Amino acid sequence: MPIDFEDSNDELRHIRLSGRLDIQGTGEIEAKFAALAASSKRRVIVDLSEVSFLASIGIRAIITNAKAQMQRGGRMVLFVGENASVAKTIDATGIYTLVPTFSALVDAERATTA
Amino acid sequence: MDLTVLDRCFELEIHADAFDLREASAWLEKTGIATKVPADQIFRLDMCLNEALANIIEHGGPAAKSSPVNLTFLPQTNEATLFVTDSGNAFNPLDATPKAVPDSLADAEPGGLGLGLIKTFTDAVSYKYDQGRNCLGFIVRWSSSPDDSRAS
Repeated sequence: MPIDFEDSNDELRHIRLSGRLDIQGTGEIEAKFAALAASSKRRVIVDLSEVSFLASIGIRAIITNAKAQMQRGGRMVLFVGENASVAKTIDATGIYTLVPTFSALVDAERATTA
Repeated sequence: MDLTVLDRCFELEIHADAFDLREASAWLEKTGIATKVPADQIFRLDMCLNEALANIIEHGGPAAKSSPVNLTFLPQTNEATLFVTDSGNAFNPLDATPKAVPDSLADAEPGGLGLGLIKTFTDAVSYKYDQGRNCLGFIVRWSSSPDDSRAS
């Protein structure tokens, strides 16, 4: 499944997504993504650096989980690395204003504590 | 001028479902590469294809799912057009306003981003409704120099 995670410490979780986040791809990871994002970890970095295609359905899943995390008192940010196509899609939708988006991992980690 | 690229038309018939959408993306990529359409332009058309088909699947109604969706790809010199034709509910995206980004995550409602993506990733969009069929066209253009390409 194109989703896995790593807990850096008691509070910070990295969720890594990969492949195409179109209707089919988002459907395949949706439930696990929601479960991982809803854990007791209150700071979540969603790594999109290996996502090859991000459609609006994938963005919808990100917003849904970011909002749920915020309502639990946590914070979700996005890490895109050098992924130009995903960065372009995020830029086009303007969701970086809602879910902070970073190309450097250190900046993403710092932002989860902001 | 590459005459082998001119006046060629590629067609694919699919169903309005997630599996066929994935197949259609693969077809578009393969056909685009074979006709020397730049990769970043294929990406732009793929985005439009995905958003158009997602809209048909979600909002097209029963007729959209019971009838085929026809894709027509027209690569030309420095321009490519993709037509998506379906029998779903009539919808002209040219009349619709893209959803504004809310002020905060708390105000965000998922969905409604596809139209904005289509308008961002195309150079022109056409629409007509004829004999019960929506025909949506996406045009992307690029310069001979990759550095001048709008989306690069």
